[in-house]
Amino acid sequence: MDRNGVMEGELEGKEMNKCVEEEVSHLALDIGGSLIKMVYFCVSNNCSVHQGILSSKGSCGLSNGNANCSVLKGKLHFLKFETTKINECLEFLSSKQFHRNGGYCHGDCASDKNIIKATGGGAFKFADLFKEKLGMTLDKVDEMDSLVAGANFLLKEASREAFTYMDGQKEYVQIDQKDLYPYLLVNIGSGVSMIKVDGDGKFERVSGTSVGGGTFLGLGKLLTKCKSFDELLELSHSGNNRVIDMLVGDIFGGMDYSKIGLASTAIASSFGKAVSEDKDLEDYRAEDVARSLLRMISNNIGQIAYLNALRFGLKRIFFGGFFIRGHAYTMDTISVAVNFWSKGEAKAMFLRHEGFLGALGAFMSYKEDGLTDLMAHHFVEQVPIKPSLCAGGSLNNSSILEDVNENGSIECTVQLSN
Amino acid sequence: MDNLTEAQQLQQQQQQSLQIDCLNENTNSNSDNKNSKTQREQERGGGGEKDMGHIGGNSIHRSSSRPQLDLSGAAIQGNFEERDPTILLPNQSDDISHLALDIGGSLIKLVYFSRHEDRPVNDRIKRTIKERLGISNGSRRSYPILGGRLHFVKFETTNINECLDFISSKQLHCGGMDARLWHSGVSNENAVIKATGGGAFKYADLFKERLGVSIEKEDEMNCLVAGANFLLKAIRHEAFTHMEGHKAFVQIDHNDLFPYLLVNIGSGVSMIKVDGDGKFQRVSGTNVGGGTYWGLGRLLTKCKSFDELLELSQRGDNRTIDMLVGDIYGGTDYSKIGLSASTIASSFGKAISENKELEDYRPEDISLSLLRMISYNIGQISYLNALRFGLKRIFFGGFFIRGHAYTMDTISFAVQFWSKGAAQAMFLRHEGFLGALGAFMSYEKHGLDDLMVHQLVERFPMGAPYIGGNVHGPPLGDLNEKISWMEKFILMGTEITAPVPMSPPGTTGLGGFEVPSSKGDILRSDASKLNVGVLHLVPTLEVFPLLADPKTYEPNTIDLSDPGELEYWFTVLSGHLPDLVDKAVASEGGTDDAKRRGDAFARAFSAHLARLMEEPAAYGKLGLANLLELREECLREFHFFDAYRSIKQRENEASLAVLPDLLMEIDSMDEETRLLTLIEGVLAANIFDWGSRACVDLYHEGTIIEIYKMSRKKMQRPWRVDDFDAFNERVLGSGEKKPCQYKRALLFVDNSGADIVLGMLPLARELLRRGTEVVLVANSLPALNDVTAMELPEIVAEAAKHCDILRRAAEAGGLLVDAMINIQDGTKDSSSSLPLMVVENGCGSPCIDLRQVSSELADAAKDADLVILEGMGRSLHTNFNAKFTCDALKLAMVKNQRLAEKLINGNIYDCVCRFEPAC
Repeated sequence: MDRNGVMEGELEGKEMNKCVEEEVSHLALDIGGSLIKMVYFCVSNNCSVHQGILSSKGSCGLSNGNANCSVLKGKLHFLKFETTKINECLEFLSSKQFHRNGGYCHGDCASDKNIIKATGGGAFKFADLFKEKLGMTLDKVDEMDSLVAGANFLLKEASREAFTYMDGQKEYVQIDQKDLYPYLLVNIGSGVSMIKVDGDGKFERVSGTSVGGGTFLGLGKLLTKCKSFDELLELSHSGNNRVIDMLVGDIFGGMDYSKIGLASTAIASSFGKAVSEDKDLEDYRAEDVARSLLRMISNNIGQIAYLNALRFGLKRIFFGGFFIRGHAYTMDTISVAVNFWSKGEAKAMFLRHEGFLGALGAFMSYKEDGLTDLMAHHFVEQVPIKPSLCAGGSLNNSSILEDVNENGSIECTVQLSN
Repeated sequence: MDNLTEAQQLQQQQQQSLQIDCLNENTNSNSDNKNSKTQREQERGGGGEKDMGHIGGNSIHRSSSRPQLDLSGAAIQGNFEERDPTILLPNQSDDISHLALDIGGSLIKLVYFSRHEDRPVNDRIKRTIKERLGISNGSRRSYPILGGRLHFVKFETTNINECLDFISSKQLHCGGMDARLWHSGVSNENAVIKATGGGAFKYADLFKERLGVSIEKEDEMNCLVAGANFLLKAIRHEAFTHMEGHKAFVQIDHNDLFPYLLVNIGSGVSMIKVDGDGKFQRVSGTNVGGGTYWGLGRLLTKCKSFDELLELSQRGDNRTIDMLVGDIYGGTDYSKIGLSASTIASSFGKAISENKELEDYRPEDISLSLLRMISYNIGQISYLNALRFGLKRIFFGGFFIRGHAYTMDTISFAVQFWSKGAAQAMFLRHEGFLGALGAFMSYEKHGLDDLMVHQLVERFPMGAPYIGGNVHGPPLGDLNEKISWMEKFILMGTEITAPVPMSPPGTTGLGGFEVPSSKGDILRSDASKLNVGVLHLVPTLEVFPLLADPKTYEPNTIDLSDPGELEYWFTVLSGHLPDLVDKAVASEGGTDDAKRRGDAFARAFSAHLARLMEEPAAYGKLGLANLLELREECLREFHFFDAYRSIKQRENEASLAVLPDLLMEIDSMDEETRLLTLIEGVLAANIFDWGSRACVDLYHEGTIIEIYKMSRKKMQRPWRVDDFDAFNERVLGSGEKKPCQYKRALLFVDNSGADIVLGMLPLARELLRRGTEVVLVANSLPALNDVTAMELPEIVAEAAKHCDILRRAAEAGGLLVDAMINIQDGTKDSSSSLPLMVVENGCGSPCIDLRQVSSELADAAKDADLVILEGMGRSLHTNFNAKFTCDALKLAMVKNQRLAEKLINGNIYDCVCRFEPAC
């Protein structure tokens, strides 16, 4: 299974070295309850700053012809830290000298050099910490605005962003940009937000649930002593939930309850077997517990999402947020839930940059300040690229699949208006 | 009628009746009445006890040993539907329909039916009355009806042997105890028990082996729906809402019940759209249910039982483990999308980031967090499904809820939040028994299905699972068991009612939403647990046909949901208790056994009161009438069948002794004065009431007749509520208005003694003289010193000795069947007189709920055009606001200061004479 490494300490050195070679431009943060997501733009070494209309790739299609604008070519990098290890994030920022450079290569935006766009609850909570440690001011961007902006951007600009996942089969979905709206965006972070998106900046949080990624990790930690989300996911991969879930077959003596369309393998009650057996926590395999937990939460989110989509007549449901992490079984379960409840009419779709919607959205908000203009139109994903440099550590993991670069950097151009 | 003649006849009769002791004293002046009263009391002290069984107690006493006799009788006669429980006897497979099971993964729910103990009924009188009223047996129903009780019991599935023992000991699998006696030696190889739930498959062999019965499996969904439909239709206050710790019962309109969403929360959760009887569809569900709570809870807390886990949650604070919006936003709200700092953003989200192990968290906190997560989730998914199908009502049932306040609050909150108040979560008092009830309903031929609707009265015997959610095992049947259980219970009682510290209110919520705020320290550990009583099926009870609007009719005038009101009446009842216990013990001869029972009764009733004080809705909707009835039920449960028996007798006799004088006085008056005097008399005589503290005190100061005279003297008009002129005009006419000739009057009588003898009987007599048939409506079972339908014929017969009008009317009404006067002689001239009849009202409470009256009363009411309700219990505590389709007169003296202030803005001893023309 693919695994998107959280930025670990030992990776930092490697990372810093690589990034130092590049000129780091704008940076935005999404500081959530459990993870800090970072998006930053590095100007590629081999790509000089172009004054004028076109990038060398010629794909920008600039229309404003502003002579004063500069077009940067480079990469958007995606990076994450655990919120509990916020110091690692601070160190990273410090080492990259973002705060010195003001995040901008040209120094012509001096007044803003210590301002970083940030979203997520932590943007409020840790504002003082950033100020104190780095002298940075976090410019708070609304979380929902960011999520939606990030999702809209990705769905419109990045090719091969959305995909379905059923029975281990990943299938990219071509989104017709004209027929994108309305859709339901389900962002699974610590908690889950369900947002009906009607257009750019037009959205409404219609639902949510507190049973989300935080629940998975929180309960998972208590039940298995796993130290990290990824460890827990890893465990679940080899687990068998039948040991601990009560299945329809367990109740009906191995038979289906076909009258109401329940297969004997359907879960009647998550953790239901833990009730009747004379077993303690220690007697269960951590793998099985993790699997059962994952199925419970994924299934629940899938169901609530479907019911909300149904309620508003939304055909498309996009799932994002860090709970998913491109984890096949998670996606599978969510897909199955949506498929089951909709009787095949609705399909769950996932986003390759699922975890970074908020951070991307915050990044996009720089344009509102006039510092960068037309960002959206100038991001051109050129290749569905190699794994991110920043997440490179995970390359060593043998379980990485071919399409592992879920959070790969995106090559793009950025136009700066001066 | 000629007044003089009447008076002369009276005198003659008095002379004829000299054998009645003390009569001579009463014909004299009243000056030495006090002495004579004392004397009589002494004389009767022992004698009254000796023949006390005569009126009713005895037959009740014998009831436990009587079924065999009664039933064989019934089998031979087969005439009287009320006492014909024999339909189940001839056919053995029918016998088994007494029992049905729902064997779930964690609990076994058992519903069984037992016959009513035989009620003392005077069949001869009843039959005569029926003939007079033109009721023929079988005209109303073509088959016999089974009267009895539905019992609800639960066992843990792991202790299935207890369940088997219970069934075996009660012989429920072959038709109950009685059936065993009748069928002793008959094997039950072909016996079948209906069962549902997964365990119906799993334990089928065990049942075969242990009890020799086969389990017939019923479809689970069918059972759930059948059970829910039955409950919602048959039990008046089955459904309730639960918001912020406050329960409110919901009146379900049976015609507007469907469609609804039934959410059954067992191990998993099923959501069923119900469109009608047997018409339903499972539209959704979730695997996150009770099993998840218990399963995860067990793993995380090492609790040994579901209830223990639930109990833990009461003391939990989920802020230590849930990630709140404030935790993410540094204590600030995310107000843009309506999330405040204190709402839960992520259940168990805090367990992520801290360096804490499972052991570092309090199990209480874990349990609460888990409970909220699951409850809220279920509420949310339920609402979304209700919305999808346009269902207004969502009923939650299943054993996960267990009447647990936080669970219900959380579910309610979720539904309310998401629906923005448009949808409401409702809960069922018998939530855990849906499946078992449904399985019970699935028997064919038990003849119960149609009849159950509207005919169930719920009682709360001490042996029923008194402390809601806990599994208590079998309800106690035996009196001795009951008493010792009560004694044991008292030991635990302090624990049960002790307050449990609660988490600070308003700390948490689920799914990023505010917590349903609780009432904080008002909630107790068992605060909201539901009590499931025994359902009494009284097939003969029906709605009083003269009610103007039975649907909106609410018997209780005093709503005890007002805490101040509740407290007041609890104080009154508690204060009255020692005196009542004394009377009850004395009525049973003051033996050691009676004392022990008296103690047990006092404890039991006090425990009920304490329980209700804590949780007024513990037994369903609570009105004053319910409370008063509870007391009577409680007395009966400890085999005090008529605590006021000797007092009633003594007062009847004393009053009967002065009746001739009174009648003579009345007869000397002109029409108009007479009517006023009679109404005054009713009000004055109503002062005799053992239910009123003030009146009990009065008794110590004078004789009955003294009090009566004093009372009547005080009855100066205008009364506090005084519609006498309207009534007078209606009866006597005025100017061009013709007098109204009432065809038949129903007189709901109150107390024994002066009240009936000197108040209501003379009024009845006046009505008879005016050409109106009179039906005296009295209690079926004793309550306080209220006169019962069984006692009335004797009283009337006694009064008839002094009054020809009463005698002829009583003969015409068949009341003298049992009396000394020969019926053969009487019937000759009965055709010349209008009848005076007696019917029982179907209840045993000082109040009356007109939704449940005896079928005789309902029949008698059909030709009635005047209803007179007398006494506080029937015309003030209940029915003060009741409207009728015929003229109604409500007469009472208010013997309670608070009630007087509240109801009529008056004072104690003020009178109410409320006349309401037909609606």
